[in-house]
Amino acid sequence: MKLTIRTTAAAVIVLFAGGILLASALGFWVTESTKEPAKIKTGEFAGMPNPSDIRGSYTWNDISKSFGIDVGLLMQAFGVKDASTKVNTLEEAVKSLSLPPGVEIGTDAVRLFVALYTGLPHTPEESTVLPYTAAEILLREGKADKALIEAAAARAVKPAGTTPAAEPAASAVPAATGTANTAPAPAPAPAASTTKTKTETVTAPAAAAPAATTPQTATATQPAATTTTETHVEKPTGTVVGKTTFGELKQWGVSVEDIKAVLGGKIGPDPMAIKDFATQNELSFSEIKTKLQELVDKAKK
Amino acid sequence: MKKSGNALQRKPVRIRYIVQAAFFVLVAVTATVSALNEKGIIIPFFKGVSLHGICPFGGVVSFYQLFTIGTLTKKVHESSVVLAVIGLLSALLMGPVICGWICPFGTFQQWLSGIGKRLFGRKYNTFVPRKLDRVLRFLRYGVLAWVLYMTAITGKLIFQDYDPYYALFNFWTGDVAVTGYIALALVILLSLFVERPFCKYACPFGALLGIFNLFRIFGIRRNAPTCISCKACNRACPMNIDVMAGKAVKDHQCITCFECTSEAACPVPATVEMTALPAITKDHEREGGAK
Repeated sequence: MKLTIRTTAAAVIVLFAGGILLASALGFWVTESTKEPAKIKTGEFAGMPNPSDIRGSYTWNDISKSFGIDVGLLMQAFGVKDASTKVNTLEEAVKSLSLPPGVEIGTDAVRLFVALYTGLPHTPEESTVLPYTAAEILLREGKADKALIEAAAARAVKPAGTTPAAEPAASAVPAATGTANTAPAPAPAPAASTTKTKTETVTAPAAAAPAATTPQTATATQPAATTTTETHVEKPTGTVVGKTTFGELKQWGVSVEDIKAVLGGKIGPDPMAIKDFATQNELSFSEIKTKLQELVDKAKK
Repeated sequence: MKKSGNALQRKPVRIRYIVQAAFFVLVAVTATVSALNEKGIIIPFFKGVSLHGICPFGGVVSFYQLFTIGTLTKKVHESSVVLAVIGLLSALLMGPVICGWICPFGTFQQWLSGIGKRLFGRKYNTFVPRKLDRVLRFLRYGVLAWVLYMTAITGKLIFQDYDPYYALFNFWTGDVAVTGYIALALVILLSLFVERPFCKYACPFGALLGIFNLFRIFGIRRNAPTCISCKACNRACPMNIDVMAGKAVKDHQCITCFECTSEAACPVPATVEMTALPAITKDHEREGGAK
């Protein structure tokens, strides 16, 4: 049996076009992620949309729809003009803000805003801050624990040339307060000051404590870090966050045995995010995070 | 008669060029529209799909994570897995047709080879010493192993930062790493001297598909009794395969481009053709090797 150029051309096209059509018919031809965040599986907020699952490819409309937040409010919070744009274009939209090194307003800032606005849990990245406009809205309408909102507002950044919004909001709160859920990470240096300004993060033994009061947050912890005026933001490397994988933990020098000891004798595959593992195994990420961070810090020494 | 016959015979191979150009345009438009969408610019009537969504190699590197955890590598979608499966099936059937017919980056290098041929004439594609060339051709398996391993342990698309293909279609988006630009520049430069340098020496997906040349169902066969040993097939092969060395081409670098066949370079009808291979014919074949 012989294949000529013509028959091969036909075969190639039929194979690929036919394969794609068949995959479409079977529902396998998916070229983008769904625009609905995953639901929280366990705990008090089970069944609610998970702010941590907001992705850069979501539009503001998608977020509005999923979390029931007025789209105008979202746009106002982040200074966006078109609700059909994607969240990952936020960096362009906040260009007018002069952000200090190691600090960013990106998709995770949107997750944080949504979490604080709705009272749903989310553990933000260490470098995440909110724009001042978002903080103002949260202070006014946020449903999360007031202390959490104020802590986030304390780190919010103002447009270039001004200082961060620390003073108005921060009067009542420490510079940075870590929490199991919606806590921002340690505060960075003020944006407007000199480029030489450094910050130093001091990690405290962050023991998790049961949530005392609000129905919005499941737990709260001791301050995860305190900030002094002259400090330097410790970079994500070596810092356990939601996206940290088991592979990264191992790379940072934490032994498999130690990880297993924290996770009750189990460990996930290297590419798996620890947070996903915690969710799957119904473990408290905040507690695991703290213990693992201690191991990482120990390994560093 | 031979001359006019050749002219006629050369026509069918143009079909491949048309198919290649069509896939190139399709991928370029799809990736561009997707990148514009990412920037908030919506193009009416066009649906953009990210390059990751239509890259079969993205599916390949996701296999490990898919089988062990049940999820896909970051940025990879189900469509990539579908294309990977189709690609592997097509390779089992006809060898790396993706490389010779579909891959837009292969097409891009092929177009650049036109410039090289004009510059160097017959010397083009013969600059790399044979011994070195033979060794370098296995480099892509090292790349494949590294990419698969690193992707498996990190869960990230590790090759993106070094991928000249990604750099080509996204060079204007600001989403390309410096290493990607360097890789692209290097490939462009090398393509002026060597045909398809990335395919030959570095492409991890080509490496995987190339393995199928050892047992593909339809392969390139040379009919020795009618062969006049003119070496036209060897000269035409963009991958420098010694087609004349055996009865069948089983070289891991064959891209099923048909350039060596009697429909293109070979002047004798029915002498170099793509037919069902050994398992069916039960011939004892001598394997063709690289020049």
